[in-house]
Amino acid sequence: MSNDTPEKIIIGVLALQGAFAEHQAILSRISLPSHPIASLLVRTAEDLAQCAALIIPGGESTTIASVAARTGMLQLLKDTCRDPSKPVWGTCAGCILLAKEATGLKKGGQELFGGMGVGVRRNGYGTQLESFEVMLDIPGLREPERPFAGVFIRAPIIEHVDPSAPSSSSIETEIVARVPPSCLPAELQQEAESGTTDYTVVAMRQGKKFVTTFHPELTKDERLHEFFIKRCVLELPAGK
Amino acid sequence: MSTPSTDFAPATSSPLAAPAAGTNGSAPLPPSGAGTPSAALASAKAAAGSSSGTMGTFGVKSGLAQMLKGGVIMDVVNAEQARIAEEAGACAVMALERVPADIRAQGGVARMSDPQMIKEIQEAVTIPVMAKVRIGHFVEAQILQAIGIDYIDESEVLTPADEQHHINKHAFKVPFVCGCRNLGEALRRISEGAAMIRTKGEAGTGNVVEAVRHMRQVVSDIKRASVMGEEELYAFAKELQAPFHLLKETARLKRLPCVNFAAGGIATPADAALMMQLGCDGVFVGSGIFHSGDPVKRARAIVQAVTHYNNPKILAEISMDLGEPMVGLTIDKDLKGGMYAGRGW
Repeated sequence: MSNDTPEKIIIGVLALQGAFAEHQAILSRISLPSHPIASLLVRTAEDLAQCAALIIPGGESTTIASVAARTGMLQLLKDTCRDPSKPVWGTCAGCILLAKEATGLKKGGQELFGGMGVGVRRNGYGTQLESFEVMLDIPGLREPERPFAGVFIRAPIIEHVDPSAPSSSSIETEIVARVPPSCLPAELQQEAESGTTDYTVVAMRQGKKFVTTFHPELTKDERLHEFFIKRCVLELPAGK
Repeated sequence: MSTPSTDFAPATSSPLAAPAAGTNGSAPLPPSGAGTPSAALASAKAAAGSSSGTMGTFGVKSGLAQMLKGGVIMDVVNAEQARIAEEAGACAVMALERVPADIRAQGGVARMSDPQMIKEIQEAVTIPVMAKVRIGHFVEAQILQAIGIDYIDESEVLTPADEQHHINKHAFKVPFVCGCRNLGEALRRISEGAAMIRTKGEAGTGNVVEAVRHMRQVVSDIKRASVMGEEELYAFAKELQAPFHLLKETARLKRLPCVNFAAGGIATPADAALMMQLGCDGVFVGSGIFHSGDPVKRARAIVQAVTHYNNPKILAEISMDLGEPMVGLTIDKDLKGGMYAGRGW
C-alpha cells in the first residue's frame, strides 16, 4: 500500500454476523482522489488475505467470536488485530472484540481479538431501552463544524485507555470523539463530571487501530469511514 | 407508557438504496435498508444545543434489528436453554413458557410468559432478550417494557387478544417485530410502528413450506411494485391494503424498509440457508432446536449455516451427524392447533 500508486485499496468487512452490508454500502460511496476504494465481505482466511484493512462491524460480539472460532478464523483474526502494521476498525461489537480486556461478558467469558489498549464494559449503558442517538462534535473529520449522528445501540463503554498497550513502541493514541457526560448512566455521570474517571471516550485511534462504540454504518455520513482510510490505512497526517 | 417517538420516518430512510458494490460475488441480494437515524433529530439537536441523548427513536429501534442480521434468534424456555443458545452463537433469544410445538400439542390459551422467568433469562445471558405478547395486548407489552426487555414479538403464536387491532407500537420505546404473509401485511405492521418484520411461516410444525410461501410472496409483491408507475402504485396500495407512502418507499428501495427475518418451521441448517438465499436477513428458530435430538450441535450448525448460507461445501460439513431433527407436521386442515398464520389483520 504505497501512498503514490493509484492501486485499488481493498477494505475487508468481517461478514460473520451483524451489520456488514451497511459498512459495505458506505464504502461504495467513498471516492478519494488517486486512491480508489473497493470492499470485500470477509468470511474465510482467503478473503482476509486479499484485504489491506479490516472493519469489524456492529452485531453480537459473542456470535462473531464463536462463529470465528468454529470457522477456524479466530487465531488469524487475533494475529491481524494484534499486528500494529494492520489497519483495523471496530464499531460497537467490533470495539469489544478489538479491546485488550472487557467486563460484563457472558458467563465463562468470551474470546476477544485484542490489539487495542482499551478496557471496555459490554452493554455499558444498559438494555435496548437505554439505546440512544446524540449529535457528536468530531474535530478530526472533514467539515468538522457539521456534527456527526452518533447511534448508540446496547453500546459498550470505554472504561480505561492504556496508551502503551499494543506494544512498547511509541504508538500514538488519539481521542477522536467524546459523548456528553449527560448521556452516561446516572451512576457514572458524577465520576465523569468530577474528572475522576473518564467514561466519555466513544471514538479512539491507536496507531492503525480505530474503535467507535457507536454505529457510523447506520447513518448516511461517510466521514468516519474516510477518517479511518486516511488516518489508519493511508496514514495521512491530521487535516489532510 | 412512554411518549410516542416523533422520529419515526421509514419512508425517508434509504441508507442502502443501491446494492453494495463489493468485490465478493457471493452476495446475491441487496443488503437490508432500514431506518436511518433521523435527519430531523440532527437539526433539532443542533438548533437546541442539547447535549443529552434521545432514546426510543426509530433509528435505535431498527438499528438493533440491523445488528441482529446474519444471526439466529432462538426460542428458549428457561435460563439453562438460554445459556446453551448463547454458547452456540445465537444473536438473541426469545423467552417464552412453551415453544410453539408444545403450544400446539397442549392447546389452551397461550399468553405472555411470567416476567419472573423472563428476568431469570435476562440475568443468565448478555445477548438481547426478546419476548412475545398476544396480538393487540398492549398491557402485556407495557409489562415487558417495564422489565427492560430488548425486543417484543407481537406474535400470532400466542392466542390473539384483539381480533381487529394490533398494538400501536409507536407508543413504546422498546422495538417490536411482527409476522407477515405478504407485503400488505408487512407494511401495515410497519405503519403501526414495527421496526423489524419476519415471515409468519407455520410455527411449531418443523415444516418450512409456509415460511417459503410467505417470503416468496413478499419478494414477488416487491418485484411487482418496483416496476410500477405512481398511478399503478395507488391502485396496488389499495389491493394490498397497505399505506401508499410505505409502498412507494418499498418500491424505490426494492426491499422492505426494515430488516426481514425468516420464522415458522425452520428445523435444519439447510432450511436456514434456504431462507437466507431467498433473501431473508436472518432466522428465528423455535421448536426446531430444543425439540431435536442434540440441541447443542443443531444450534451451532444453524448459526454456521446462516453465516455460510451461500457455501454448499460448508453447509454439507455442518449438516453431518446432527442427530434426530424435530418431528415435522404436515400442514393441512387437520393440523393440531390449527393454522397460526391466519391470526393477525
